[in-house]
This record gives sequence, structure tokens and C-alpha cells, in this order.
Amino acid sequence: MSPKNSLDKRQPAGDSPALDMSAISRGELNESEKTVEKLRDLLRLAAKGAKDAVPEIRQILDEHPDLAWRFVRVAHIVEDALIEKMTKEGDLATREIMRCQLEAMREEVAGENPSPLERLLAERIVATWLQIQLFEGLYASGMSKSMTIAEGGYHQKRLDQTYRRHLSAIRALAQMRKLLKGTAMTQINIADKQVNTIG
Amino acid sequence: MREYVGGGTLGHIAALQDAQERQRREEEAAWWKEEREALQGLVAPVEQMCEAAEILYRAALVSAGFRRHQRGEWRRKREPKE
Repeated sequence: MSPKNSLDKRQPAGDSPALDMSAISRGELNESEKTVEKLRDLLRLAAKGAKDAVPEIRQILDEHPDLAWRFVRVAHIVEDALIEKMTKEGDLATREIMRCQLEAMREEVAGENPSPLERLLAERIVATWLQIQLFEGLYASGMSKSMTIAEGGYHQKRLDQTYRRHLSAIRALAQMRKLLKGTAMTQINIADKQVNTIG
Repeated sequence: MREYVGGGTLGHIAALQDAQERQRREEEAAWWKEEREALQGLVAPVEQMCEAAEILYRAALVSAGFRRHQRGEWRRKREPKE
């Protein structure tokens, strides 16, 4: 038996299907990534004491109120890809159960009337939780089979990183709620869409 | 480790076994490389999204007047007295 056949039973990553980014256009995504990149540079400058950086950060956030929502949509696509990887091909029932479970978790974590940023931070918690499930599953199935030391080490390292990311995601949401609690939060309802602004 | 097992039929069988073992290891290594790359491809978008969320979160705090104290806790920036 070739190693590939014997290892295939572990539900390997295999040829994971390319992420379907049709829900968000490539141009939109590139533009958002560039804006985030700009924000990253400005944050670095602000940390070094550059006074001009903060007003510029404010301006970018004001000019791109939908930035967080765009990444929320990316998160949904990414989660779907992870779910597909974690379930057997054609197992639509399990996939639907997992989607419902994630939706419930998302609602619970985001709370009532979340701001776009709160929603994105909640998405991050859900996505990293899902990643933990993926790596724990791969590690556990590998343990019961013929996992090499290198494979075990890889999964262990991945798991540790993912746990750290998950904890950091939880901390970020809790901190943001605590720090911005006193800040005026305005809720605007336009048609059926609700927009929350902080400032 | 090298072990001399002699020539003739026995040596031939040992050489065949070695070749099979080598091929098995190569196939396994190639499979594992593919597996790691596929996993990396799967989690890379999650990591990008997490990174973007972190930057937006920091930007929101900085724009609300907070600064990070020694790369640790966030504190409200003191406004200079007029």
C-alpha cells in the first residue's frame, strides 16, 4: 500500500478547493487590503510618536466605513472553506449543522447590535475556534494512525499558534468593549440596515 | 547506517528492500510536503483576516485617543493642559 493511500484515511488537507471569493470582488478585496496596509504603516508611525499619523488614521476609518464589513464577508468565505475541509465530501448535513453552530456562536459572541468592528472581532474568534477544531482533528486522527514525529511536531506547533491567536482574538474583543464603553456609540438605522458608529 | 550482507541472491534481495524502503520514504515525504502546502493554503486566508481585524481594532483604539503602553495595555492618551 502506498503511503498516500494509507494516510488518506486521516482526512488530509488534500487538494482543498480554491476559495470562492465571488461573494466579494477581487478588486474590492485588493482595495481593502491596501487600505489595511496603509493603516498598519500609520499605526507604526503613531507608535513612534508621529503626530500626523493619528488624524490620518481617523480620516481613513471615516472614508472607509465598510472596511470591517468587507472582512466579515471574507471571514464567512474562509469559514466555509474550513468546514468543507473538515467534513466528508457530500456530507451536506454535517456542513449545515456546523454552519448553524458557527452562526449561533457568532451571534452570541457579537452580542446585541454589534458595531462592524465588534462583528469582525467576533468573526475572528469564530474563525480561530474553527481552526483549532481543524488542527485538533488532524492531530487526533494522526495519533491513532502512523503519524511521524515531524508530522506530530508540525500539528502541535500549529495548534499552539492557533490557541494563541484565539486567545488574542478574545482579548481584543473584550478590551475593545471595555475601553470604548464610555465612547459615544450612535446607532443609525437606514432602511433595514443598521449602522453603528463610534466617535 | 551501512551493513554488508554479502553478494549473490541475498545481496540482491537486500538491495531491493533498501530501494523499496527509500521509495516509500520519498513518497511519504512528498505526500507530507503536499499536505503541509494544502493546509497552509487553507489557513492563510484565516490568518490574513485575523491580521486585518487586529489592525482595524488597533486603528479604532488609536483614533479614539488610546495608545499602547510599552506594547502592553491600552491607555487613554493624556491631552496637554491648555
